[in-house]
Amino acid sequence: MGVAFVAHCLLNQNSKVREGAHCAGVYSPIVDVLRAKGWRVEQMPCPELAFAGLNRFWAVREQYDTAAFRRHCRRLAAAVAGAIAARAEQGEEIVLVGVQGSPSMGVTITSSDPDRGGRPAWPDGTPEHTGGEGIFVEELHAELDRRGIVFRVAGETHALATHDVASERAHLESVLENGDG
Amino acid sequence: MGDERSFRVALVADRYVNPPPGGLDGLAVLAAAGWGVMQLPDDAYPAEVARLLLAEVAEQVEEFSRHGYLFVLVGERAGLGEALAAVGVPVPPRIVPASAAELGGFLAAQPVPPAVTAARE
Repeated sequence: MGVAFVAHCLLNQNSKVREGAHCAGVYSPIVDVLRAKGWRVEQMPCPELAFAGLNRFWAVREQYDTAAFRRHCRRLAAAVAGAIAARAEQGEEIVLVGVQGSPSMGVTITSSDPDRGGRPAWPDGTPEHTGGEGIFVEELHAELDRRGIVFRVAGETHALATHDVASERAHLESVLENGDG
Repeated sequence: MGDERSFRVALVADRYVNPPPGGLDGLAVLAAAGWGVMQLPDDAYPAEVARLLLAEVAEQVEEFSRHGYLFVLVGERAGLGEALAAVGVPVPPRIVPASAAELGGFLAAQPVPPAVTAARE
């Protein structure tokens, strides 16, 4: 058991980009697993909400990969890393639960399209997904490495073509139990 | 693609998200009622850690508030009022619930979020 630092939107779907909220408020499939396994739940800030606002467009990683957004993410990461460090110093295990496919919160899958820009019209789909971390997770990862804090990762998978709630739950359980994230 | 957001957000003290044995599971009540949750820092955190986290919470509350989302406060957290004041947002209606029924009744009594009202007009 330990402490799960979860993406903001897993407790508050109101923070999602427009047309992105999968439920009214709390995304229970992830939260239920964490609580059933006895992990504390701690919510991270949404990096996109305070920066680009509620009326932001759907975006890929390249569109957020700016000096200003990274500076914003480093500020958030410093705050979150302080909380994580406090838990780690107590001997707690740490898991980050992100949002797969997200340009900012992806933990092993983010989104990429170097050509995207201009008038926002593009087909919905998954070709943009690629291996890697989102911008905020990358900055948080760097800050935790700097502090010598070890952590595991898991992710909510709604954005992926392969999304399946049972698989999402099973993977999270595996990460929590076996640390194979 | 549909969007199922409720436009309702509760600022929630940590003890209602991670309740002690026998404590009120506020997160379960809020989830069942369709409210989003913004968790407040655990009281055990060092003051500077909590201050930074509260500042981020406040900035996000300001963004939601400008767009007509409805807020309540469940529990209390030292420093929250100051953080909200720094972004020009008042402390929302508050409850320190003793039971799930009390919290559920409080949530049910809240008005329709301005964002929902505006969308209907």
